[in-house]
Order: sequence, then structure tokens, then C-alpha cells
Amino acid sequence: MTTIPRRDFLFGLGSSLGALALTDLCATDLCATEQSTANPLAPKSTLLPAKAKAVIMLFMEGGPSQADTFDPKTKLNELHLTESTRTKGLETGKRFYVGSPFKSRKVGNAGIEMSEPWKFLAAPEVADELCVYRGCKAESLNHPEALLHMNTGSRLGGDPGFGAWATYGLGSFNQNLPGYVVMTELALPQAGPANWTNGFLPAHFQGTRLRSTGSPLLDLNPPSYKSREHQRKALDQLAMLNSQHAEQHPEHAALSARMESYELAYRMQMSVPGIIDIDSEPRHLQQAYGLERKETAAFGRQCLMARRLVEQGVRFVQIFSGGWDSHDYIEQGHSSRINSVDQPIAALIKDLKSRGLLDDTLVVWTGEFGRTPDNNYRGGVTALGRGHNVDAMNMWFAGGGTKRGTVVGATDDIAAEAVEVVHPIRDVHVTMLNLLGLDDNKLTYFHAGRFKQLSQFGGELIPEIIA
Amino acid sequence: MISHDANRRGSLTFVCYILVCLLCSQAKAADKTMATKVVLRDAPADRLFTLRVLPLLKIKCFGCHGTDPDDVRGDYDIRSREGLLKGGESEEPSVVPGKPAESPLYQAVMWDGIEMPPKENDRLTRTETEYIRQWIAAGAPWPDAETQLKIQQREWSVVENEDGVIVATSGGLADDWTYRRYRAEDIWAFQPLKKTDVEQAATAEQHPIDVFIGQRLQETELQSAPTADFRTLIRRAAYDLTGLPPTPNEIIEFQQAWDQNADRAWSDLVTRLLNSQHYGERWGQHWLDVVRYADTAGFSNDYERSNAWRYRDYVIRSFNDDKPYNQFVMEQIAGDELRPDDPEATIATGMLRMGPWGTAMVPQAEARQLYLDDLVHNVGQSFLSMPMRCCKCHDHKFDPLPTRDYYGLYAAFATTQPAEVDAPFLPEENRSGFAEKRKLVAELLEFATAERDKVVNKQETAARKWYADHDLPYRSENARKNDPETMKPPRHVGLTPEEKGILKVREQDVWIWERRLERYEPLAQGVYNGQDDFKNDRRLRPAKKINADWRPVNFILGGGSLEAPLKPAEPGVLSGTGLPVAAPSNEPWRLPSDLQGRRLALARWIANDRNPLTARSIVNRIWQYHFSNGIVRTANNFGAKGSKPTHPALLDWLTADFIENGWKIKRLHQLIMSSETYRRSSRPVDPRKQATVDSNNELLASFPTRRLTAEELRDATLLVSGELNPTQGGVPIMPEINMEVALQPRMIQFSIAPAHQPSRTPEERNRRSIYTYRVRGQADPFLEVMNLPNPNESCEVRDSAAVTPQAFTLMNSDVMTDRSIAFALRVQQEEPSGTGNWIRRAVQLAYGRMPTSNEQKTLHAYLTEMQGYHKENRPEPVEYPIQVVRSLVEEFTGEPFEFVERLNVYDNYVPDSKPWTVDADTRALADVCLLLFNSNEFLYVY
Repeated sequence: MTTIPRRDFLFGLGSSLGALALTDLCATDLCATEQSTANPLAPKSTLLPAKAKAVIMLFMEGGPSQADTFDPKTKLNELHLTESTRTKGLETGKRFYVGSPFKSRKVGNAGIEMSEPWKFLAAPEVADELCVYRGCKAESLNHPEALLHMNTGSRLGGDPGFGAWATYGLGSFNQNLPGYVVMTELALPQAGPANWTNGFLPAHFQGTRLRSTGSPLLDLNPPSYKSREHQRKALDQLAMLNSQHAEQHPEHAALSARMESYELAYRMQMSVPGIIDIDSEPRHLQQAYGLERKETAAFGRQCLMARRLVEQGVRFVQIFSGGWDSHDYIEQGHSSRINSVDQPIAALIKDLKSRGLLDDTLVVWTGEFGRTPDNNYRGGVTALGRGHNVDAMNMWFAGGGTKRGTVVGATDDIAAEAVEVVHPIRDVHVTMLNLLGLDDNKLTYFHAGRFKQLSQFGGELIPEIIA
Repeated sequence: MISHDANRRGSLTFVCYILVCLLCSQAKAADKTMATKVVLRDAPADRLFTLRVLPLLKIKCFGCHGTDPDDVRGDYDIRSREGLLKGGESEEPSVVPGKPAESPLYQAVMWDGIEMPPKENDRLTRTETEYIRQWIAAGAPWPDAETQLKIQQREWSVVENEDGVIVATSGGLADDWTYRRYRAEDIWAFQPLKKTDVEQAATAEQHPIDVFIGQRLQETELQSAPTADFRTLIRRAAYDLTGLPPTPNEIIEFQQAWDQNADRAWSDLVTRLLNSQHYGERWGQHWLDVVRYADTAGFSNDYERSNAWRYRDYVIRSFNDDKPYNQFVMEQIAGDELRPDDPEATIATGMLRMGPWGTAMVPQAEARQLYLDDLVHNVGQSFLSMPMRCCKCHDHKFDPLPTRDYYGLYAAFATTQPAEVDAPFLPEENRSGFAEKRKLVAELLEFATAERDKVVNKQETAARKWYADHDLPYRSENARKNDPETMKPPRHVGLTPEEKGILKVREQDVWIWERRLERYEPLAQGVYNGQDDFKNDRRLRPAKKINADWRPVNFILGGGSLEAPLKPAEPGVLSGTGLPVAAPSNEPWRLPSDLQGRRLALARWIANDRNPLTARSIVNRIWQYHFSNGIVRTANNFGAKGSKPTHPALLDWLTADFIENGWKIKRLHQLIMSSETYRRSSRPVDPRKQATVDSNNELLASFPTRRLTAEELRDATLLVSGELNPTQGGVPIMPEINMEVALQPRMIQFSIAPAHQPSRTPEERNRRSIYTYRVRGQADPFLEVMNLPNPNESCEVRDSAAVTPQAFTLMNSDVMTDRSIAFALRVQQEEPSGTGNWIRRAVQLAYGRMPTSNEQKTLHAYLTEMQGYHKENRPEPVEYPIQVVRSLVEEFTGEPFEFVERLNVYDNYVPDSKPWTVDADTRALADVCLLLFNSNEFLYVY
């Protein structure tokens, strides 16, 4: 039997073929023990104890403002409209401070402070699950690079997304669904699919975009004039052609893998519509996720879908919510954005909790960077918004082995710069991997002359976040 | 290599050392022996420490426990013996002299209790931990700096010893690096070619390639497969050289010639295919993979590079014309300097514009650095198979590439500025349909401008009213910009939030369509030499005035940071190659540092016959595309961390032959394809043995099977369906793609990128895939799912992983449905006489052979059944949209707003045949055709 090129025998979104070795793929000790498994997406054991089995990442594209969400500052409000002397950031020229248009308050038993537009998240049974982290520093001031940095660990694009690393390291529990699912708004975020690419990892670890309208996976079903029975007959004929061909080429192992991928596709035609059919969820739950409110319906659907996916064994689910880039009119901008995600997120956390899924599902809420305490004059006019800020941002975690009801790290008195428990993005990645039972230093892949890793050159754990 | 090239510092220290000896001997001649002894007497443990232990500590430990005094992890500073003895925050000595087992340092490196260094990949080897053990056992001496230096200098004076060989370079940042040793097998690519005298080994009738391949096969006692049959061979050769399958007639003709004289038929076939215009389309694509061809720039705006197509066509022409590769190299790096008045040479420099790049929200200095870093890395990787990114921040960890040489290349490009430059059209460039295509773009520009102006007019009407209300004279938007806020209307006066958003969207639209109109202008995405000035990638033009006296000041940047200049950097080449720029001089690696001419000198050095990397690199690439794997399997990386050549003598022989014969690629194809190795069957004689002995088929006992590339698959379906328009060149064509993706909104700065509108007529659309529009931000989903490479990274070899979405696309997509309908129509037209002949003809067109009786029978039964099915099931027509309503969340308000995007190509669109335009018989036959396209026999080349 001629051995086929390494990359030829990886079967996509899972497969049941069992005869082939996976030697080259497993360049690390991590999967050295898994070499008998042919399917790269088969669940793998971890070296570290895993606290989380799955991740749901809620990505607020555009850069949510920390001072107007989870890091309110009285001092900043006092400085409102006074001249700013800060020199950092991209904008030049005269600048002035902008106080938050929102009041804030301490919520829940843990007393986490958040701005008033967060109403559902402020409910004690939700707020007390959060671990707010205020110490992260980003590196890139521009959206696409910063998005790529947060999602792939490198701002250059072309490196694997977090979910790709996670499924590479852990496999997936459900072989009839993709292990790494991404849901966007109608418009793709800046930098597009590079945010969920498999990069140099094999194609199986690519994020699959579950589309919110139209066909959930591209070309999942044949044109409508072809029935499922028609499809079955076509596949049977194809199998006839292929098996006759395979008899001619017994040396060519890739043939059977490709034949099998058609059968898997056929099964997925049934399993995928099932998973996205949220009409089967009880009405009260649909209401809880905000499916009946216009502002929250889209994000609510995706949050509900995320729970269903995780429940079905999907490893990494990411949902994008756009429009957080409030350079101007931050009051309208941020209140409307918060309003569109607040109820769905709160429902998601409660739902996960009530099903016992929150303990081993890590929920992450973040953007690509934070926002400045001040703004420049836009077109010569006082614009009540904020610029991009890489020195401070906020994010929070819930479940998956993170500390409950906690605030970790702090910024200075105007939320301009992180000053306590300060870590770069790579350390957040290292910590998230750790919660999944993966060691960033050992989760490596040999590519272009060196062992690559999510953190690029290694990072540190943020122990304060871990329960 | 080191013998003749002056390593100046190396020689200097060596001289000093001899001087010391001489002084000693002169001082006391009688004590000569003793004096020498004094100098040479290194305590073995001191030597062990200086040459083994200290370098290990530096590389593996100082990063965290040393270099930065303010950031010493675990409060443990191991830069001195005292520090080691003191230990870290535990206050326990980390070294107990004489007692390795009790020394925490030794335990740590053994990963016994604590694990240091913590990263698996940095872990010390057995030999390395043994050095530490022996050193501690010997009392852990730490000789003073002077003693260390003496030990090192003596070590450095020996070029080659059991630890390896020192490579002379322009020098690292530290002597440790400059004098480090390489294993000979790791620096094979830096060595001059060794041309084996193959004639000696060969019997008269043996092909040189078969001699080299045969040697290793004999060693392993693997039996090579026999010559493949004629049908397999013509299909293999046709796909290989043209990316298209042979037609049934071509197969029949070849068969007849083969029966008369097989060798002759084969060589005629290869010659015919090499002369086909499609040859350049297939081999040009390989090169475009390497240089990352795309029609857009990536980054925030993904701006169109409207004239990139001219570079694509230049590459295709160069392959078709069999341009000597050294000339091809020179033109791409320095065509504008080589032949300033030749548009062809200007277009060639498009290679220096292929990387993703943008200036939006990137500080200018950083944008400039991004551009130059990209050039250095990709010129190294593409032409020299030497990726350069690793030595941007430090001397290369594994290869003889000092960071000084990185910044030498960086400085060589430091006067190079990206711009759209004038380049008159050439007679051979395809400009057909320009007028009609330009008109479609002009309509969209007109629409965008009108929509923008509507909003602007509304705003200015409100502004006039405001001024009137305030008893002030009206001032235009531009004029009032700097007026105090009390003296002018509020920003966006009179506009609803929705209109504010629309204004931004339409402004961006205007930019987009103005750029696209430039496709039809005599411009090229090229470069010029000039001073650094402000760059906005929205519009890049040569500076109006070139400052001839301007010289960039470049530095070696510590950690690659603009804020950390270490030492001045001058234009230079890769010294580790041993190939100087000019005749022996003080600065053998220096390139000229004028404003003009830096690149040309670099190009000459790269394209030099004696450059050990360049010709090997391309010869290996050519070999790889023929056999799916290179002689070196990492075609972009000939460094220590790349693969080693499986047949080094063969690579060198082929390379030497290639250079001697004028760097001609077509000659190399002929040489390779005339070998028995190339003509072998893909079926091993003894599959089991081959799988055991040579599981990766490195020895080529049988021919490696491969899957069609994305482009080959699309092109083959078009050829077989009779739809392929073989026209060459011209502005990018837009195939029909999945409609959901075509209309998929895609965020760019301030707006949404325009929808994918297919070309208007089937003739325009159904051209070869190399001519399709390549957008960095959105790939054609059909090509993408078939493993089209990511356009931001150089692709050395195509991936062919079978993922399930491929089955969805190939079975269910509209694109494949349309191909199968066209295929069915062709078959019906060519075989009007009956359904039995339909099956025969369809199989013949798809597979290049007649169906077996079983295939004929079952496919015919399937056809009959489907005829019944389709009579019962009629497809609904699908209309093309003439506009799409976009929705965007407005940054100012966080509220979504809508706007209309015109899809004007559909105003007068000529669709392909669709399921609802043909009858049930055709749809049934199309079902058969679809299966043929999906089958493994169609998809694999043997």
C-alpha cells in the first residue's frame, strides 16, 4: 500500500475510518499517545486536569469601552470635557476627557460594579458567576490586527484561531458536527475568516461558520428539486463508481477516506438542521433568550444555538456582535449594543447553569481592545466618544473553572491603563488553554522551521482568574 | 568555505593568539615548551564550562534568569557562580559543587521535581544535561573572563572539529553566535554545488535521473514499478504541464503514435504540451502560489490592486516564453532598474507588491517597516528558499543568517517605494472588452456619487438654514471646518442617524469604484526608488519630486523593534552563502548604497550562477510540482529546520546542468519527464514492502498519486462540459459563485465591501481559474473548499486534505449543477442517437476511456430511473437579484441602518443553462454527469 501524503488522510469534520496512523501530524508529546487514532477530531485526553470541556466566546467587535461597561470610574466623570494631556494613542491634536454617560452600581452578592445599561447581567444569579478581568493589555490599535491578535495570538493573520488549537489539542465529542463553530452577524467581522482559520494546522481544525440565514452550512443540501431519496440514490451510484475504481487502485488509501466523507456529509444533512432547529426549544426559554424582542432576537438565537452546540459536544463556539466602535455618540452606541446582548447573555449563563453545563463550559466576553478615557475633536466638533486603547480593556469569564463573583486586576483612576495584574493577550490565551487542560508550551505544531504555539513564544498563567 | 573568505574578526583573534605565543617564546626561548603549556593549559572543567555549560545557560536560562536585571524570575540570578550558589527565592543553593544529584539546577534540567526550562521544546538533551552533571561534579568552576576568552579563542581558530564547522558570515551580535558550529548536513544548501560525474556510473542507455534514483532503490532492494500505460501517461503529462485533461481525440492520437514508437510518442507529447499556451497558465499558478498573488491588498480596507492582473499575465508569458529563470528573477526584483523604459520589466516588479499591506490606522513608520519586513522575508523565501522572518529579531537560531544580513536585505530595499506606476500597455496584453467592462464600473461610480451627493445636499441645505437662523453668512463644509463650534452648525446637521451612516458608506463606495476604473489605465502595481514620505494605500503614486540626495538611515533593530536600533545597517547580502557581491574587498557582502541600483545589485547577486541557493531552489520546486514532493520537501526552507534532500547528488546534478544550460525551465521539464522515474506506474510492485521500507515514497519506486488542485478541478469540469473559453490574460474574470457568498456582506473600514458580481456572459465567466478575481478578504468558496491556499502566506505545496464540506460543494452547489447540465447538453448534442450512447460519451469525456460493461449497465439504469424522477420533479426558476439591501450597525448610534447596493451586471445578464431551462432527460443525464465529476477517478491523477 502506497502511503498517501500526510495531509491527504485527514477526513474533515470527523470520520470513522480507523486504519491509518497519524504519525506526522502528532509532532508533540501531547498527541504521541493518540497515534493509534486515525481521526484527528477524536476526543483526546489532556495532560493537565481539565476544568472546562468547551468554550463559548462572545466577541464584541469594535472594542467595548471598559469605562462604560465593567470598569466605571468616578474620577473620569469629574474630568468630563476638561482638556486631556494624554499623549498615547493614535489620534493627534487637542483632546478632552469624556465621562461615562452611564451611571453604575455594584450588583449581586459579590458586588461587581457594572454600568446601568446591563440589566439582566446584573441579576445576582448571573452577576455572581462572573470573573471580571481588568488587567489585560492589547497590542494592536487597528481593528483587523487586534481581532486577529485576540483570536489567533498573532496580529499578522494566517495563524490558527483559538478554537483550532483547542480542537487540535482536544478533538471533539461529536463527530457529526464541526468541533469549532463560529457565528457572525450578517456581515463578517474585519479580517474576515482569518479570525477562525486553521492556519498551518490541518484543515480539519478550521472554524466552521454556521450561517444565521440561508443554508447553515454552505451547500449543505442539494437544490430543492432533488429529494433526500434522490440524494441517497446518487450516493449509491457514486459508491459503485468509486468502489470499482478502488479495486483498480488498491494501493491508494486516500480513496476510501474520500468515499467516507460523502457518507458523513449525508449524515450531517440530517444532524445539522436538527441542531439549529431552535423552534424545538420551549417557548419560555426562547423568550428568556430574547427571541421575541427585535433588538435581541439575532444575538439571542445565536446564544441559544451556542448552548445547544456545546450540549452536543462542540468544543469551541464563538459569536460575534459588531458595532462597539463608539468613537462618537457613545451613549446611543453603547446602550444600544449592550441592550442587544445583555438579555441573551444572561439567559445563556442561567441556562448553562440550570443544565449543569456551566461548570465545564467556559464563557468568555471580550473585544479586541479597550477604549480611551478621552477623545479628539472630530471634524472640529466635540464628539462624545472614545478612541482605541491598547493599554486597558476589560473582559469577563464565567464558568469553566474560573473564580465566581470576582474582579481581577485594575486600571488607573481613569481606566486609561491597566495597573494591577497586568497581562498581555497571550497570557489570557495561556490561561484559557490551561482551563481546558492544555499546556500552551506543549500544544505545539511544527511549521516553517519551528514549533509554533498559540502564545507565539510562550506566556504566563493568570492564576487569579482560576478558581 | 571559510578558508578563502575573510572572516575578519575570526582572523584577528587568531592572529592575536599566535602573537601571544610568539611573545612568550621570544621572552624566554628556553621555556618555550612551558610557555606554550601555560597558554594551552585549560583545566578540562574550565573548558567544559566555557564551551558547553555557559552557552547552555545563556541560551536556555538567561532569558528568564539573567539578561534583564529588573525582571529576574524567581529572584534567581544565574549570571555568576555566586548567583548560582546563592539560589533563588527559596534561598537554597542551586549548585552544590561536586554533588550534581544534590544540586537543584541539575534536578531542574533533568525535570526531576521542578521542570526547567519549562517548555518542552527547550528541554535539554541528554548530552546537555550530562555537561551540567560533569561540570558540577568537577566542582562547578567558573573561570574568569580572561580565561574564558583564551579558551574560546583557541576553539574559534579551528574551523572544523567534532562539533561541526564554523561558517564565515558578516558576524552575529555576539561572538558566541559568530563562532558557533553547524553540523555539515544542516548547512548543505550554503555549500557550493557538487556535480557528480554521472556518466561514469551510468550505463550507456540509462537516464541520469534514473541512475541517481536507482542507487537508493538498489540500496533498499525496492523494485521499481514498470512503465505506466499510455492512457495514464498522457493524463499525467497533460495535467502536469497544462492543468487540463487530454481530450478523447488527443488520447486516440497518442495511442496510435505510442503503438508505433512509444519513446518517440512520449517525447513528442511532452514537446507539444510544453508548447501549449496552457503550459504557462499551469506553471504560472505555481509561481503565483509562492509569491501570494491576489487582486486586493488585505488589511482593513482590502483595497483593490487594480492592475495586479498585468503581473499575473507577465508570469504566464514568462513561462510560456521559457524565459531563463535568472532573468525572471532579475526582472521581478529590479525590472525597473534593469530596463527602465520597458513596461514589461516594470510590470515584473509587481512581485514586490504581492504582500498584504495597508496604512489605515497604522503609524507611518510601522507601515513602512511592515512593507520592508514583508519584502525581505518573501524575497528570501521565494528566490532563495530561505525564510528570513526568524532573523528579524536576533541572529538566526539554526542557520548561518546573522540579523545583520537581515537588515542588509532590509537596507537593500529601503529606497524602494510601492506605487502605481506608469506602464504603457503591451501589444501582447489582452485588452478585449475594456469599453464594456469600464462602463459597468462607471455606472456604479455614478450611482455611488449620486447617493453621496443626495446626503451632502440635504446636510448643506440644513446648514444654510442654520446660518440663516443665526444671521450668519453661509460657509461651505470645508470652509467652516476650523470655525469655533458656536459659529457653525453641528456636525451632520439635518441628517438622521441613518443618513450619517449612508454618507460614510457612499464615500467609501466612490473610492472603491474610482480605484476599479484604474484597471483600464496603463498603470502597473510596481515600485520606484525615492525618499520615505507619507503613504496612504488608498492611492499610491510615485513622489512628484524625487530627492536624489536622500539616503535612508537603517539600523539593526533589536527584537525587530523600531525603538531599539542597535548598530547601523548597510545594504548587503546573505554572507553565509560565501558568495561575495564583488571581487575580494574589505566588505564582500556590501551592496551599493545609492538611491538607485540597490535592488539591481541584489538581483544580480541572487541570480548569480554561483549563488548556492537560487538555482537549487527553483530546480527543487520544479521537481516538486512534477512528483508532488520536492527532493527537499520544504521548498521554501533549505535551512537546518527544513527537510534534508532525499537525493542530494541528484539535486546538485540537476542544478548544475540547469545553470550550464542557461537556466531554462522547459529543458528541465523535458529532462525530468524523459526519465523512467517519471514514467513509472503509480502501482507499486510490492505495495506491502514499499509501505514498510519507504512509507513516504521518497525513493520513487512508483509514481506518487495526487488529487487535482482547486483550479485544475474547476478548469477540467469546464473543459469536459465544453464550456471552457481558452482566451488568455486580461482583467480578472468573475465566475458565478455560491450566491449566498456572493452577496455576503463583508466589513471593511466604515462600510461593507461590494458584492461579487459575476462577469456578464458565459464566455467571459468560463475561463481558466488563474484569471479569476482573487480577493484576500473573501475567497471563491468553490476554490477555497478544494484547498486554495491562504493568500497571505507563501504556499510551497498545495494541501489536499479531504474535508466533508468538499462533498457538499461538489454534490450540491449551483456551480456544479450548472457544469453538469452543460456537460449533459454537450453529450446530447454530440450523441443525439440514444441514451446508451450518452453514457458511453459521458464516461469517455470524463475519464478518457470507454465505460466497462458494468458501468454502462448500471449508469444506464440510473439514467432511466432519473428520467422518471425528473419528469415528476420540476425545478423552480431562480431570479438573479438586481440589487441587494445592506444592513449595517451605525457606529454613531449602535442602530442598524439599510442601504441599497446596485448589482448592475444583472441588468443585461446572460446566464448559463439552468435546471429549469432544460428538460427532464437533460436533468437526468446531468445527474450522471455530476457523479462522474464527483468520482475519485475524475479527481485523482495517477
